[in-house]
Amino acid sequence: MAPIVQCMGLTKTYGGKVALNQINLNLERGRIIGLLGPNGSGKTTLIKIINGLLNPTAGEIYINGQRPGIETKYRISYLPERTYLYAGMKVIEMVQYFQDFYPDFRMDRAYDMLNRLQIPPNERLKNLSKGTKEKVQLILVMSRDADLYILDEPIAGVDPASRDYILHTIVNNYNRNATILLSTHLISDVENILDEVIFIKYGNIILQAGAEQIRQNEHKSVDRFFREVFAC
Amino acid sequence: MLGKLMKYEWKATWKLLLPMNMLIIVMTFLACVTVQVDFFDSDNSMVIFSAMMILLTYIGSMFVVCIGTAIYLIYRFYTSTYGDQGYLLHTLPVDKHHIIIAKVAVSAAWIFISMMLVFMSVMFLFAEQGEFLVDITEAFESVIEYWGGSEVSGFVLIMTFIATVFHIFARVLKVTACVSLGQLSSDHKVIMSFAFYFAFYFVQRIFTMLYYVFIEILNHANESYRFSYFDNSWEGTLISSILYSVVFYLLTWYVMDKKLNLE
Repeated sequence: MAPIVQCMGLTKTYGGKVALNQINLNLERGRIIGLLGPNGSGKTTLIKIINGLLNPTAGEIYINGQRPGIETKYRISYLPERTYLYAGMKVIEMVQYFQDFYPDFRMDRAYDMLNRLQIPPNERLKNLSKGTKEKVQLILVMSRDADLYILDEPIAGVDPASRDYILHTIVNNYNRNATILLSTHLISDVENILDEVIFIKYGNIILQAGAEQIRQNEHKSVDRFFREVFAC
Repeated sequence: MLGKLMKYEWKATWKLLLPMNMLIIVMTFLACVTVQVDFFDSDNSMVIFSAMMILLTYIGSMFVVCIGTAIYLIYRFYTSTYGDQGYLLHTLPVDKHHIIIAKVAVSAAWIFISMMLVFMSVMFLFAEQGEFLVDITEAFESVIEYWGGSEVSGFVLIMTFIATVFHIFARVLKVTACVSLGQLSSDHKVIMSFAFYFAFYFVQRIFTMLYYVFIEILNHANESYRFSYFDNSWEGTLISSILYSVVFYLLTWYVMDKKLNLE
């Protein structure tokens, strides 16, 4: 099967500043991929372009063989770093919102996860803590049967005790033929679930390799290797 | 998907705007009672003071509802389209045209409701007892005459109504275009939105002036036929509103589709 994401010479500039520099990248299906890089490296720009939130300056990008648009949005489940929930709505209304717009949304899965995390469905989102809102957002995103899940800092806002559960939720609730693209600074927390990592620096892909391959070749963890590569 | 977008737009706005519009009805009732019972003839200064306070609150509530509705709808458009909620809105599998139509239609509907309620409220307040329908008919005639209609007919009434609706759409789309264009600035989005609003205002004034000059030139060049102005008529309002609506719609769509860059 063709890769879920194909980038060819993908470039994005803001004024004179290059955010992505002629990136050539393929993301294969059925993988959990870590998109790793320091602040301002181009991670968010790449994620926005894949989601159709930004138009590239040059180059081509295909998701499931299609340019970003309505059809690709049906296939991508995106968790942004920002809290995008409507504060005035109840959790249950937000679940209904996703059910209304995404045919692949699994309501039973959403309620099961809400129940496990003890999040009351009738609570208004404005009454929930920031961490709980992020959990609700993650539940909504992972309750879809998408082909590509893009998770931007999914564990940054939650307490360390909940991180294992969040990661467990991610690993156990995605479609096995789907790909997860996971952007995070907390590499040590996610390292064990990654199949593959992409290092991005100054808008260039400097490494795309299997996580196990890095551990074997470099004789160190991905986290340690990342710190060495991106040392200031 | 357009229906679903509109449904959620209604659900998001009615919680605040319905009570605000209900306030008009409540204040109209209180003001009508105050005027009809004629508390101002009372010997008790407290009664007169209370009656005055009710009428002042009535006038204040009219302003609050009209201005508050407009400000809330602008804020709602900004936050849900270009704020954090934009991350959800723009990743929904929906057409950008549907997003614009849903937001503009619901906003226009709320402004229309508020306008009609204020209009009816004033009519109720100043109508003599039992002559509300007579007074409201006269009020409609005055509005039509103000807009240049020489005679009031069913056709003129319908066209005036349609022109008013298009005028509201043009005003709403002008705001959506200004807010959208303001997003092109990286640092001063709100200031840029206001700057675009005033720039459009001046451009619209210039177009109106050019239109008058154009008609005068035509009349000067052609002695056998005299072209007339659309000035202050429903025709001018309708045509200019449609033209401006198209321009502002396209500007909004262009930014949303081609230049979107959420923070």
